[in-house]
Amino acid sequence: MQRVLSERPRVAWFEVHSENLFADGGALHAAIEHVRADYPLSLHGVGLSLGSADTFDDEHLATLCALVQRFEPGLVSDHICWGAIGGIHLNDLLPLPFTREALDLIVTRVQQVQDALGREFLVENVSSYLTFQHAEMSEWEFVAELIRRSGCGLLLDVNNVYVNSVNHGFDAHAYLRAMPRAAVREIHLGGFIRKTDLAVPLLIDSHSRPVDAEVWALYAGALDLFGPVPTLIEWDQDIPELEVLLAEAGRAEALLNGHRTHIA
Amino acid sequence: MVTAPTLLELQRGFANAVLDRGSDLAQWVVGAGLAPAARLQVYGNAIASTQIETLRATYPAVQALVGEAFFEAAATRYRLHHPSTRGNLQAFGGAFAAFLATMPEAAALAYLPDVAQLEWLRQQSALAAEASPLAPATLDDTTSLSWRLHPSVRLLGSTHPVLTIWRYATAPEGERLQLDGRGEQVVLWRDGGEVAMTVLDAASFACIAALIDTRDLEAAYAAARAIDGAFDLAVCLRSLLKHQLIAAG
Repeated sequence: MQRVLSERPRVAWFEVHSENLFADGGALHAAIEHVRADYPLSLHGVGLSLGSADTFDDEHLATLCALVQRFEPGLVSDHICWGAIGGIHLNDLLPLPFTREALDLIVTRVQQVQDALGREFLVENVSSYLTFQHAEMSEWEFVAELIRRSGCGLLLDVNNVYVNSVNHGFDAHAYLRAMPRAAVREIHLGGFIRKTDLAVPLLIDSHSRPVDAEVWALYAGALDLFGPVPTLIEWDQDIPELEVLLAEAGRAEALLNGHRTHIA
Repeated sequence: MVTAPTLLELQRGFANAVLDRGSDLAQWVVGAGLAPAARLQVYGNAIASTQIETLRATYPAVQALVGEAFFEAAATRYRLHHPSTRGNLQAFGGAFAAFLATMPEAAALAYLPDVAQLEWLRQQSALAAEASPLAPATLDDTTSLSWRLHPSVRLLGSTHPVLTIWRYATAPEGERLQLDGRGEQVVLWRDGGEVAMTVLDAASFACIAALIDTRDLEAAYAAARAIDGAFDLAVCLRSLLKHQLIAAG
């Protein structure tokens, strides 16, 4: 963060986990004030738990609303998942069953968030390591229907689509084609790790590695479908030097520019 | 479960499974080449890892004092007894000091809970609200002025030399610990991006505690004088001002 503040790298925007700004103050608040003066900001949450069956944390939502007022981010997002039940928070992005019941609930929650924020909210597809027997639709049907019914935007994580396509055996390109094109506001890329000690391949979304070649290829396919959508590379574990991050970002930028030229 | 679980039943079953509380959710998980329980375990491991790493980041001195293996065992037990309740992990771990005080295996390290409490207060100080310090010149007329101590100021009174132990635990290898056995009364505050700490005499500690509680200079002076008849309020206030710890409001 120090190097970002002193060297002002040529990047289009910054994204911060909303919850890291939930305290009353501190060094990150001060740093983001500086970043915000020069760059657009995206607030990306991990703790809203949109899909909790019992309660919704109104205090969490109120804190997010206050942050949005203070920092005026260009984008605000969280995940299509749940994390809390019975007053206990598991602090993870947990898989929802793709049932009509879960869909109805999360549609209502997203509408509630958009009403509270008074603006469009983005939801992101997550990586998952299991699915449920009683699913009534595919993941891509669930995601597309959530967006259509709630009117929210999509933060499309291309790495998560790829990870799930391997973990659950589906066609990643078919998933992308099912997404509502006009709703894709942002793309995430990231690195995964491959678990080798199990009977079947299992990819774990780790944000600790360079983007995989297969994911770069899928990203190119996503740009064909959705156009030059603002793209962020998530790398928040085992973070390398800034140069390595900027090189990864540069590769995405080159692909994006190719599409801008193509469209022009 | 004979019929498919409702979302509420599924989430309760999932939480029970990953918190080792017993659950029959696995029968509704698609195995696809793996035991359904193993798939749930991937989540169980990830959740435990996230929460234990959070405690590790908050309590580095405790970990240095007890070692990695003991810390992991304590953190594992803590997260099952005091589950996280918020989506914001900065709020997780506030009862770790009290929990360590109840751990029989830690009883020999009587100072450990206070070291943990000091680390929790360091985090609270680091994340406290910002406030504009008063310029010294404006303090000539304290009677009409609206002021308070900076929100990052925290106090910890200990019967153990808690700050000395913390500095020893977080110092590079090879530091020697010299203890005279006396307790330490510590004040913490945010100085730039860092948390600063120093040991106070008992009267100054009582003065600052009263200032935080009451914002009343007379009450603070009385509290300090009850401990030390020679306590000098002006010296204490000048020191607070110098460190920019008296704020408007």
